[in-house]
Amino acid sequence: MVFNSYTFIVFFIVMLVLHNLPFSWKTKKVNLLLASYVFYAAWNPPFILLLWLSTVVDFFVGRALYTQENKHKRKLLLVLSLIGNLGMLCFFKYGTFLLENFTHLINLFGVDFHPAKPNIILPAGISFYTFTTLCYTIDMYKRKSEPVKSMLDFSLFVTFFPHLVAGPIVRPPQLVPQFETPRKASQQQLVNGLLLLSLGLFMKVVLADSMLAGSADAVFTARSPLHTLDAWMGVLAFSAQIFFDFAGYSTCAIGVASCLGFVLPENFLYPYAAIGFSDFWRRWHITLSAWLRDYLYIPLGGNRNGTVRTYVNIMITMLLGGLWHGANWTFVVWGALHGFYLWIEKIIQNFSKKSTVPIAVNTSGQMEVLTNLPKDGQSKTLKNFFLAMITFFFINVTWVFFRAPDFHSAWQLLCSMFSHVPKAEALLTTLAIIKISVIVFFLVLFHWLMRNTRVIAVANKMPWWLVGIIWAFLLILLFWSQESSSAFIYFQF
Amino acid sequence: MNNSSLPKAGILAIILVATALISWECYVRNKGFDSSYDDEGALWSDKRAMVYEPADKATVFIGSSRIKFDLDIDYWERETGSHAIQLACVGSTPIPVLQNLANDEKFKGKLVVDVTEILFFSDEPPSRQTPDKNLKFYKERTPAQKASFQINHLLESNFVFLDKERLSLNAKLAELQIPNRPGVFEFPLFPDGFGRVKFNRQEYMTENFIRDTNQQNQVKGVWAFLQKMSKEPPASGAKLDTIFNAVKLAVDKIKARGGDVLFVRTPSSGPFLMGENMGYPRAAYFDKLLAITNCKGIHFNDYPVINHFVCPEFSHLSQPDATIFTKEFIRILHDEKGWAFPKLPSTNK
Repeated sequence: MVFNSYTFIVFFIVMLVLHNLPFSWKTKKVNLLLASYVFYAAWNPPFILLLWLSTVVDFFVGRALYTQENKHKRKLLLVLSLIGNLGMLCFFKYGTFLLENFTHLINLFGVDFHPAKPNIILPAGISFYTFTTLCYTIDMYKRKSEPVKSMLDFSLFVTFFPHLVAGPIVRPPQLVPQFETPRKASQQQLVNGLLLLSLGLFMKVVLADSMLAGSADAVFTARSPLHTLDAWMGVLAFSAQIFFDFAGYSTCAIGVASCLGFVLPENFLYPYAAIGFSDFWRRWHITLSAWLRDYLYIPLGGNRNGTVRTYVNIMITMLLGGLWHGANWTFVVWGALHGFYLWIEKIIQNFSKKSTVPIAVNTSGQMEVLTNLPKDGQSKTLKNFFLAMITFFFINVTWVFFRAPDFHSAWQLLCSMFSHVPKAEALLTTLAIIKISVIVFFLVLFHWLMRNTRVIAVANKMPWWLVGIIWAFLLILLFWSQESSSAFIYFQF
Repeated sequence: MNNSSLPKAGILAIILVATALISWECYVRNKGFDSSYDDEGALWSDKRAMVYEPADKATVFIGSSRIKFDLDIDYWERETGSHAIQLACVGSTPIPVLQNLANDEKFKGKLVVDVTEILFFSDEPPSRQTPDKNLKFYKERTPAQKASFQINHLLESNFVFLDKERLSLNAKLAELQIPNRPGVFEFPLFPDGFGRVKFNRQEYMTENFIRDTNQQNQVKGVWAFLQKMSKEPPASGAKLDTIFNAVKLAVDKIKARGGDVLFVRTPSSGPFLMGENMGYPRAAYFDKLLAITNCKGIHFNDYPVINHFVCPEFSHLSQPDATIFTKEFIRILHDEKGWAFPKLPSTNK
């Protein structure tokens, strides 16, 4: 089920009613769990078995990891959990990719091997719930937090429908305690949640799907070389589309959870106003960046083992982060480009003796991005705006590899963006160019103006009638755009 | 604004949204619009799922836009007592759908294939785009999408403004007709009165369209534009043989399971018909198709009762003519081709 569908609206209304009836807290949690399974099964019912398997295995393995005193047995349990979780992810997400690459490799050595192409369907949200369960077992191994006492709470932690299929990726300390005591949304939480849900749907349905998706798709699937203007417009359209699509989903998820009385971590903080690439990763898909930092970069040694190892660790983290997004070498290159940007940034920082900026999320899952940022990084000076635009420019270049179906298309588009291509085709209509230009201009402007604050904080400062008019504007455009319920881009990851 | 004011903002938003939507609904109704359904994957899939009804209870129609306009489904169902399942796709070849039905072991029914030569005998990717998209949607549709479709049906039946093709934000922006740079391809707009879609997927022209020669000329302009864009000559030689063979293979599969397939050439008129006759001589295309597939066929030119229609925009019948065509089509199927229908007396053919 997707948030931008009539089915979800009915489902959500039923859930709101059930959650506000005078049932016991346990009954309400059972309701939420069953609803989450319905939410997931509405895509492809058989895949719910994988979710159950992952939940049951990690609940018991997590508890054993915490209580087991024997070091060897604990390591064995951890390895079992990693193999179970990552094995499932590898099979479903990377099975075909691995087989194709293996085939290419041995064909290079002259071995005539051509296996049948496996027809593996990717279960929705597998990358997200695998990371959710993985962080639990790793935390249990490190005894960073107490094991979840009840199977019901753990199942709900893994399956809670607002975050299940596309995040935010939650940590046990962020969500499990919220299931331990009765929760019901206050009037303020409910209205905040509805405002965020409206905003998220507007971002996804009106901006991403209705205004930008067509142009981005046309440019990235064009067979012939394009004019420079078309190439740039297509890339900008995709930059905006992927932000509105994914941030829209996260905003909906946070809003839906808020309507039920729960708090989910923020996932986006105006990333296109980032000053530098480490700042970008503190603002883009924050819960994934924090996960990769805590469960990959730091265990690899982080910046504790000298300069060279730090650079290697950054690159490994970004390469695997790229691969997490999809089973294609283009995603690896996307990650490599980000790794390279972070290298350059680090070199410049070291050269100018600036200290490394602290990370966004603390271990208990509280967001501390804004308070921890260096003061000169927060100020909205012309110099910082210029730096933000340079960052935005380079981020756009990385999106070419992220969206292009293959390297040939990516290279063709890059050539169109940065050189004059003879016999280039004019593809986008004037209307499409106007739409992209207007949306990207306001996207960057809003990100810059809002970079040190949050939507709800701004809404609370505005006169109520103005919020009402803006809210109505979002909803009217939502109804008027009439986009069908297309899937969110990040579902495929 | 303090925290307690946000609910007031929400109430104001609801009032403004309700006012705007009710006003917009009243305005479009006043302008003469009525419900038209979004003819995309969800509606097509709903009909595709119905093809398993027994052969005496239903007939499946595939093809291009002509059969969608020319078959009066309400009349057909009333007169024959059987369902008409419309799977034709606008601007498309029916071959992908034919192959899909042929490869579906469960389909054993009656199939009418509309032949619009310029589309039927085309292997260009754009002519397969819509059928392929619809088939993909059908194969991959989820329980949630099925449920959303039912809710959407309820809403589309009651709110005229939910007409994506003509009244959505993008449709209204497209009406601005902002000039493009040289070389940019943009599909011309169809007028509002052309191609309204019923829930059974029948398309029709509004009465206003039939009266308004400006709107008719706008559609004729679209046909002229498409003709200008078309650079490929009509399929011939090996290319044509490949198409014939693909159709024969699919038809044979359906027949082998006890199904029946009939080809129909629906009416066109004026310069459009002249162009079709020149580009696709009947003997080399339609008649050869019947001979190769060993199927029955109906060509509108063979029947005086249906060969006199004047299509308002050269290619599709108006609603009153569609009813006359459907009446005669049923008679020919029943009396001459031996097709049985629950409400009609059985034939000996």
